[in-house]
Amino acid sequence: MQPTKLKGKVIVEGHCTGEALVTAYPISFLGGVDPADGTVIEKNHELHGTRVKDKIICFPHGHGSTVGSYILYSLAKNGCAPKAIVNKTADPVIVVGAIIAEIPMVTGVNIGKINTGDTVEVDAYEGFVTILARKEQ
Amino acid sequence: MHLTREEERIYDGETGWANQKCMQILVRLGELFDADKLIPIEWAHVSGVSYKTLGDYPIEYLEALAQAGAKVKVKTTLNPQSMDERYLGRKLPKALVSKQLSILEQFDKMNVERSLTCTPYYLHKTRLNSHLAWAESSATVYANSVLGARTNREGGPSALASAIIGKTPNCGVHVDEKRTPNVSVKVEAPLRNETQFGALGIHLGKIMGEKIPAIRGLKNPSRNALKQFGAGLATTGMTNMFHYNVPVQSKGLEEITVEAADIESTIESLTTSSSKPDLVFLGCPHCSANELKLIEHLTEDRKVKHGVEFWVCTSCHIAKKMRNTVRKIEKTGGHLLEGVCTVVSWTEKLGVKTIMTNSAKTAYYAPTLNKAQTILAPMKQCLKAAFEE
Repeated sequence: MQPTKLKGKVIVEGHCTGEALVTAYPISFLGGVDPADGTVIEKNHELHGTRVKDKIICFPHGHGSTVGSYILYSLAKNGCAPKAIVNKTADPVIVVGAIIAEIPMVTGVNIGKINTGDTVEVDAYEGFVTILARKEQ
Repeated sequence: MHLTREEERIYDGETGWANQKCMQILVRLGELFDADKLIPIEWAHVSGVSYKTLGDYPIEYLEALAQAGAKVKVKTTLNPQSMDERYLGRKLPKALVSKQLSILEQFDKMNVERSLTCTPYYLHKTRLNSHLAWAESSATVYANSVLGARTNREGGPSALASAIIGKTPNCGVHVDEKRTPNVSVKVEAPLRNETQFGALGIHLGKIMGEKIPAIRGLKNPSRNALKQFGAGLATTGMTNMFHYNVPVQSKGLEEITVEAADIESTIESLTTSSSKPDLVFLGCPHCSANELKLIEHLTEDRKVKHGVEFWVCTSCHIAKKMRNTVRKIEKTGGHLLEGVCTVVSWTEKLGVKTIMTNSAKTAYYAPTLNKAQTILAPMKQCLKAAFEE
């Protein structure tokens, strides 16, 4: 297949390839993700029970508590952080978390094009997210 | 973004690591949100104080800043902690108490005021159009929408960075054009109590995303009601401002209507238990002076039921000003917790299984943060559940 290349804006520089974990719903890291192991714990969230560890996590934006930035920092220190963060809209809480946790992050991306399980490359120097392979159905 | 020569020196590390780190955060944010420059702030309010929500790694970050000699340059207040000295500090394990204290000590070293409240606006006054850098999402919405001050919804570390530098990037709702509403909301539901206002916020936050709503139909809401509304709005959304009592629909804006059924279903969804509560909690966000007075009045000569904990949370500042009211509430068998937030306290370690509250925000967070079932109902119903007939 021809790889799909999506343009975004760089927040934290970095480069990685990994498996996408995608949701159409915003995420609050405080109360939404367990800092000990990276499991999504927000009640009724469609990602409930899945882990963000080593995933390219794609969600529209953050919501809720401003302590979420520190949860991202703890995830990184614990080795349970996502490989990269891809957002549609930049939320200061997520942005600051990614900065202090040094997690590559791109925003302004049309995440609707990406499906969970796709293999994606995040070029957070140039601001591109490329879908390398679709998840096999 | 333009930096002054002095700001460039800080950015390049000439004034030390802590200042450099903080300046990097502000510049990165400013560039992202198209700020033209940094602007001085009058006041920073910092979140990320409870040991329960912070955990160990962020403490290292705070220690590193404190050790590098970071000091705040402007008035800086602090969000609530996980316990108070008088009550919870005596019931919780010593190890937790000492970790919590060590967090406060890091902030002490940086000259942050130990205000320990999510309602800093009851402590000091803001002026119209004052530039602030506040974390605590509920306070941010209140500052912009009710007080007419200006602050973005800062993450905990960026509010601290602004405190240490004394500035914030000139972007977001600091700028006039970014304060105009971009969605119109018509509230057709009659809102009779604070809980319904909170539920309206939870409901709208999910729909708004980052938009700024112009709301019609709130009918002279009290400041306490607007506090609950803003807290709900910020819980489920990233909105940091609303306009209220707007008389007519703004031309050309998308229109959303909220009906009574939306409020009812939101309250239902935030109630997960039909059993009796073992903790009844008022004071999220922290009680104002007149809310404390109301609780005093409604609980006069009454007794808290056996087997039920009754907690009221407020700032140390308000509690100090209202010693008589505090004494009267405590005489009923209730506990007035100063500087504490129930949601970021260890209620589960005290055996609390079901929390009843009038706060939609608490009801939203408690199932995950407190591992508790929830009952969401207005203050009078909460008091009925907590007190003997």
